[in-house]
Amino acid sequence: MDHERQNPAFYALLAVLIFMSVGPVLLMFVNSFKLDVDIIGGTTGLIFLPTIQNYETALCDILWYELDHLDFCSLKFGGALINSLIIALISTGLTLVIGCMAAYALVRFRFFGRDTVSLTTLTVRMVPPAVLLVPVFGLWNNEFCIGKSTLVGGWIRDMFGGRGDVCLAGTHSGIIIIYVAMNLPFVIWILQSFIVQVPRSLEEAARVDGAGPFQVFFKIVLPLIQPGLAAAAIFTFRIAWNEYLLASALSDRNTKTVPILIVNNMSEFNVEWGVIMATGMLLAIPPIIFTLFASRQIITGMTAGAVKG
Amino acid sequence: MPEIRLSKLTKRYGAVEVLHGIDLEMAANEFTVLVGPSGCGKSTTLRMIAGLETVSEGEIFIGGNPVSHLDPKDRGLAMVFQDYALYPHMDVAHNISFALRLQRRPKAEIEAKVREVADVVGLTEFLHRKPGALSGGQRQRVAMARALAKDSDIFLFDEPLSNLDAKLRGQMRAELAIMQQRVRKNMIYVTHDQVEAMTLADRIVVMHGGHIQQQGTPEALFKQPANRFVAGFLGSPPMNFLEAELVSENDRLFARGDGFSVAVPAGRSRSLKRTSGGVTLGIRPSDLNFEKDARDDEAIDLRVIVSEYVGAQSVLLCACGNGSVTVELKSETPIALGETLRFAIRAEGIHLFDRESTAAL
Repeated sequence: MDHERQNPAFYALLAVLIFMSVGPVLLMFVNSFKLDVDIIGGTTGLIFLPTIQNYETALCDILWYELDHLDFCSLKFGGALINSLIIALISTGLTLVIGCMAAYALVRFRFFGRDTVSLTTLTVRMVPPAVLLVPVFGLWNNEFCIGKSTLVGGWIRDMFGGRGDVCLAGTHSGIIIIYVAMNLPFVIWILQSFIVQVPRSLEEAARVDGAGPFQVFFKIVLPLIQPGLAAAAIFTFRIAWNEYLLASALSDRNTKTVPILIVNNMSEFNVEWGVIMATGMLLAIPPIIFTLFASRQIITGMTAGAVKG
Repeated sequence: MPEIRLSKLTKRYGAVEVLHGIDLEMAANEFTVLVGPSGCGKSTTLRMIAGLETVSEGEIFIGGNPVSHLDPKDRGLAMVFQDYALYPHMDVAHNISFALRLQRRPKAEIEAKVREVADVVGLTEFLHRKPGALSGGQRQRVAMARALAKDSDIFLFDEPLSNLDAKLRGQMRAELAIMQQRVRKNMIYVTHDQVEAMTLADRIVVMHGGHIQQQGTPEALFKQPANRFVAGFLGSPPMNFLEAELVSENDRLFARGDGFSVAVPAGRSRSLKRTSGGVTLGIRPSDLNFEKDARDDEAIDLRVIVSEYVGAQSVLLCACGNGSVTVELKSETPIALGETLRFAIRAEGIHLFDRESTAAL
């Protein structure tokens, strides 16, 4: 193959872009193996004694052995990781289930105001999370509560402890609901474009073959929009995993997610850079695994051979 | 095998009525072809029978029972779609067995049925391929096999061959004809191709503008078209139409127009006596024979404008006064462009239509 010779400036630009994107990650990776002394000490560079002490500190609540350098395990990374996983996975699942059904209805059913609904779903997405935060915080704390004197509320208080009424704020559900609401418009919008591509005659053929509306949806439409579902899943999972603002306001000590945990690790007296870097690296792993899994489902040409084009 | 009856079947989209109260009866085991130009309502009729379109007015009876309120799945029919509509995420075997699997039939039975049907359409080697890896003809066969596997009493075909190339279409048409002999079932077939209609049908239903123009056996429609539309639609090359006046002379009736004067056969002239004024004379190209010394009143003189060589036959486009006439001629006949030739008209080949109502006289 004969390649066209490129302008050297092109390569320089590439190098700058790569440095900009990979550089911080690399810096974080290297620093996560340094002691704080090495990080903030003047001897910057690649010559240091690598240690996994930061990772040990980060994972102190789920390690099976005692740590020599730590008297008390203040960082609950394990718990936060589980919170993050619960919140991200459930909100992704819910968003996809509701999203694909809503998108299907918007594409296939004719009803009054269909186009308006289709458009408004997307404009809702344009609202910045910070604008959502204030009313949602108030609602979750004061309105969406079950009185502690009621049967259900009392039972929850007995089971999980705490004082006051049982409110959405501080629960996994509270965060999941707001994430679903936040991601749904975009997912509906993405999936609509995939559902439009499923030939109508496929659904008609299935109906003649004896499938009911739900069988048509689950056996014909859903398998064919699998790439769209995967793309939407990656998108929602990533947002739910990384989200900071809403989670910081709506979670409590027991439901906080990993991004909140990392920031909590900074105090006015001490910033443990090494541990922050290590938790940052650990934070990046689940989305990578999730994306690798989901992206396998993104196969082009799903509907090839269905109909004569 | 039930008979199907359409009673005053009407379809409206909003204020637009596309099907104006169709009445049609299809006997048991009959192969009915609905034929007509695009937008004539033939596909809509078929889709209403299938249950894919709602019925605005009227009723569909299958075996005497009204079905227009039933879901497609409860009507006991199978359908082959114009664009095949194969499930792309399933292999051929699963495509064929989809309906059976929905009915939760035993596995062994499904496998046996798939094998049997695949054998009929010649797909045995391709059972584990996805539709994307099949050629157009093979996809068509899968669509056919899927319909066959259902064991329905009624088969609906929505222009099944229109997406194939000309050669494959001819081949599949022959296979369909063979299949039709083997599986005696009610079949309703929609096409815009009059050749398909003529070769396959027990009964042809010609539709135009949301009305049934005429129905009957292919032969009846070809020989005695009810109106000018049916006459022009069936037959290839199509029938020639010339504007004429009916003139009575010496007790004989002539159709006289620009550059011709043709005697109407004595048997028919009696009933035509009362009609006067404008008529349209229709003659099929196949009813015109090149004959130098034919009599004036049984022949027509044509000036050759274009000659299309199509093999053994040449199709000549000729002028006759202001009108144009297509004739067929053996290719070896020596003719020159611009030459005027005399063609004899077979007596039974003379069709007359009222100019106003276009109905046959």
